[in-house]
Amino acid sequence: MKLLVCVSKTPDTTTKIVFNAAGNELDTNGVQYIMNPYDEWYALVRALELKESPLGGSVTIINVGPDANDAIIRKGLAIGADEAVRINADPKSALNVAFQIAEYAKQGNFDMILLGKETIDYNGSEIGAMVAEFLDLPFISYASKLDTADGKTATIQRDIEGGIEVVEVATPFVLSAAKGLAEQRIPNMKGIMMAKSKPLNVLAPAPFDELSVPVHYDLPPAKASVRMIAPENMEELVRLLHEEAKVI
Amino acid sequence: MEQYVSSRNLRFVIHEMLNTAELQRFERFQGYDKESIDMALDAAKQLSDQYLYPFYREMDKNKAVYDNGTVKVHPCMRPGIKALAEGGWISAHDEFEVGGQQMPYTLLNACTFIFHAANANLSCHPFLTTGAANLIRNFGSPELNETYIPNLYNGDWQGTMALTEPQAGSSLSDITSSAEPVNGGEYYKIKGQKIYISGGDHDGVDNVVHLLLARIKGAPAGTKGISLFVVPKYRPEGDGLVFNDVTTAGIYGKMGQKGYVAAHLMLGEQHDDCRGYLVGQANAGLKYMFQMMNEARIGTGMVAAATASAAYYASLKYANERPQGRHPSNKDLTLPQVLIIEHADVRRMLLYQKAVVEGSIALLMLCSYYGDVSHQSTGEEAQNAHLLFELLTPIAKSYPSEWGIHAVSMGMQVLGGAGYTDDFPLEQHYRDIRVNAIYEGTTTIHGLDLLGRKLTMENGKAAMLLGQEIQKEVQTALTMPALAPYAEKLGKVGAGLQETLGKLVQTGMQEGPEVYLADATIFLEYFSYLVMGWMWLKQANLAQKALDAGQSGSEKLFYESKIQTCLYYFEYELPKATALKVTLNSSARVTLGTRPEVLV
Ligand SMILES: Cc1cc2nc3c(=O)[nH]c(=O)nc-3n(C[C@H](O)[C@H](O)[C@H](O)COP(=O)(O)OP(=O)(O)OC[C@H]3O[C@@H](n4cnc5c(N)ncnc54)[C@H](O)[C@@H]3O)c2cc1C
Repeated sequence: MKLLVCVSKTPDTTTKIVFNAAGNELDTNGVQYIMNPYDEWYALVRALELKESPLGGSVTIINVGPDANDAIIRKGLAIGADEAVRINADPKSALNVAFQIAEYAKQGNFDMILLGKETIDYNGSEIGAMVAEFLDLPFISYASKLDTADGKTATIQRDIEGGIEVVEVATPFVLSAAKGLAEQRIPNMKGIMMAKSKPLNVLAPAPFDELSVPVHYDLPPAKASVRMIAPENMEELVRLLHEEAKVI
Repeated sequence: MEQYVSSRNLRFVIHEMLNTAELQRFERFQGYDKESIDMALDAAKQLSDQYLYPFYREMDKNKAVYDNGTVKVHPCMRPGIKALAEGGWISAHDEFEVGGQQMPYTLLNACTFIFHAANANLSCHPFLTTGAANLIRNFGSPELNETYIPNLYNGDWQGTMALTEPQAGSSLSDITSSAEPVNGGEYYKIKGQKIYISGGDHDGVDNVVHLLLARIKGAPAGTKGISLFVVPKYRPEGDGLVFNDVTTAGIYGKMGQKGYVAAHLMLGEQHDDCRGYLVGQANAGLKYMFQMMNEARIGTGMVAAATASAAYYASLKYANERPQGRHPSNKDLTLPQVLIIEHADVRRMLLYQKAVVEGSIALLMLCSYYGDVSHQSTGEEAQNAHLLFELLTPIAKSYPSEWGIHAVSMGMQVLGGAGYTDDFPLEQHYRDIRVNAIYEGTTTIHGLDLLGRKLTMENGKAAMLLGQEIQKEVQTALTMPALAPYAEKLGKVGAGLQETLGKLVQTGMQEGPEVYLADATIFLEYFSYLVMGWMWLKQANLAQKALDAGQSGSEKLFYESKIQTCLYYFEYELPKATALKVTLNSSARVTLGTRPEVLV
């Protein structure tokens, strides 16, 4: 089986988000990046498990971004992917990212294209559906279980509001991964050192005109600090909720 | 997940202070570029978050128990050791051919620091195994290597260092465990007992392998008659393992590190059938052990600094959440209370913790770097690195251990009453950190080592090299207006120390070693202030340069915090060296003159 896993980078969850003066870009000074956990823990690891199963095959990871992303891509190789592709672009929209992935995937005859259900910074959940649309493939979102006996059809469990749905689909298809699809793998030192010798191919992007660009970001209003009120002082609590918080 | 370590600070030390990727100039370390180093640090943190940190308090609450000859440890032990083994961490430093990754010690120790800060009571186990395996790898026969190394490196077997006996603790020359050759030395019959053996027996592994010191029958007295043996709890025979007559008489009830066993072992007690396998040459055991001991000592310093690191972040968090009191200038009691971090004295305590933790990390990593260079380089560069490593090891072991105790105590103080309760981890940190000043040589023993051996070795060459290194930082700092005054202060302490040492040597020559060494521990303290001053000036020089180049956001705060902690160190800590100088220059000979019977 040929498996393609799309990976993106996101700021570490402990990062304090600060924007530049114009408010249209993240101030990246001191920001630590990680691989988007939904891509890494679920999409990539499940792809590796399938490759390691009797079905065998190969796992390619793809990222659309500048060379600063190479560290994240190498982590994917350290965890076990066979090779990596980086489309050397600085995309401003999800549509561009999806277009670049689809352009690459077209030539690859991949049986499955896997990616996280969303990135933990933008939470857009857009790329998977767009890639499927560009490639005219079925798209199965929010997958929490993926099984295939022959690599030709797959049974997929999807998390839906209030329950689960089980679908069957023939390859090739695009799948977005949710929690439960696999268990996080921590790269071992052997994998880390071997990652250096695995191919990371850098390709030029296909021409694309951005249809939208972000012009401004605003942070949510700061949370008010906690005020402790003694349990015997209920009147004060009611007064504060009424006069200050204005919620009652 | 609570913070227990600063990954940013480790990266500062590894990349900005030491440029560890530059070690790639040695063939052994090819491939350890910045990217791989960062990936290794991240992997260590992920492992710690998953397998170590969640069990730190658990292991204390459900401590190891001795039950009818067997030792049961917390169930997290086996998966934790296995995860570290499978991550490649037990063998990381070793050759590719035996499954290692030829990792520089500098990087390995930075990662180990993360493990220890998360939960040293678990992470010490795999690293004890590494130490034991090192002895076999360096001095053992091919058969010993073949039998033991794969099982140690895959985490199925635990390695230990078994030196101490009831009558031989600090004084290892008094070891009496005996070894009698059988079949012309095919193996040795071991008899005796060992006490306080860390990881000496537990059910988180399938077997325990002791690297044990004993005296072959008829060997010369003292250190020259001690040999090193591999003594497994179960010895491989045929296709299986048979009991090797190593019995655990009990485990010690300890103040801290309660999930981490210190065992009392009886050798050959039950069946007179405890077999030991000689490592290397007969009577060279202590020499072998000492060659590996420096690394173990750096390891102990790391456990201490890492424990103090976890305590610092716990205190810092509390100080940012606890409202109490108002500023002295604020008399209006209707206004809300301020967070305790608003009080200058609380910040003083936090600065103390930070100064000890980050100063210790800088020194420990620098020593590790000297270790790498001394092993991989040749000629003068290797020799100089070796001398600096030797000279600084007593400080790298003792400073984090002794000052770490105070740092954790301050951390507890930051929490007030809450710090003394078991609702917070400080009380455990306080109990856990204490032993580091005792094992791997007490602070006294390191003071004696520093003054009696290290400062005088090769006609004081190591001390001269250190002086040159300190001068380099002083010169750099003198070019920066904000740091120049501190450069001068450090220069003065250095000159004072040189003068004091000169006087001590002279007195020693006139009045003998009793006088020279009587205050060796005080001298170690004095010397530590100088070395830590050097570490802080070094860090501040780099931080100032980074700030001058322009920083924003969290990076700016990071470098500012380095400068501020350096200022704290020079204004609050370094002056204490002056008092020690007075004590060391006194001719009153108080401790020597105190007759034992006077202590009533
Ligand atoms: C929790 C724990 C784990 C341990 N793990 C191990 C282990 O894995 N393997 C192992 O072999 N050992 C281990 N030890 C033993 C440890 O290394 C010794 O306890 C230590 O070296 C001190 O020896 P001692 O206890 O006999 O104290 P002593 O040597 O009796 O020292 C008592 C006091 O006298 C001082 N003193 C001793 N000699 C001198 C001198 N010449 N001049 C001035 N002062 C002196 C000491 O500094 C100390 O203050 C462990 C100990 C503990 C507590």
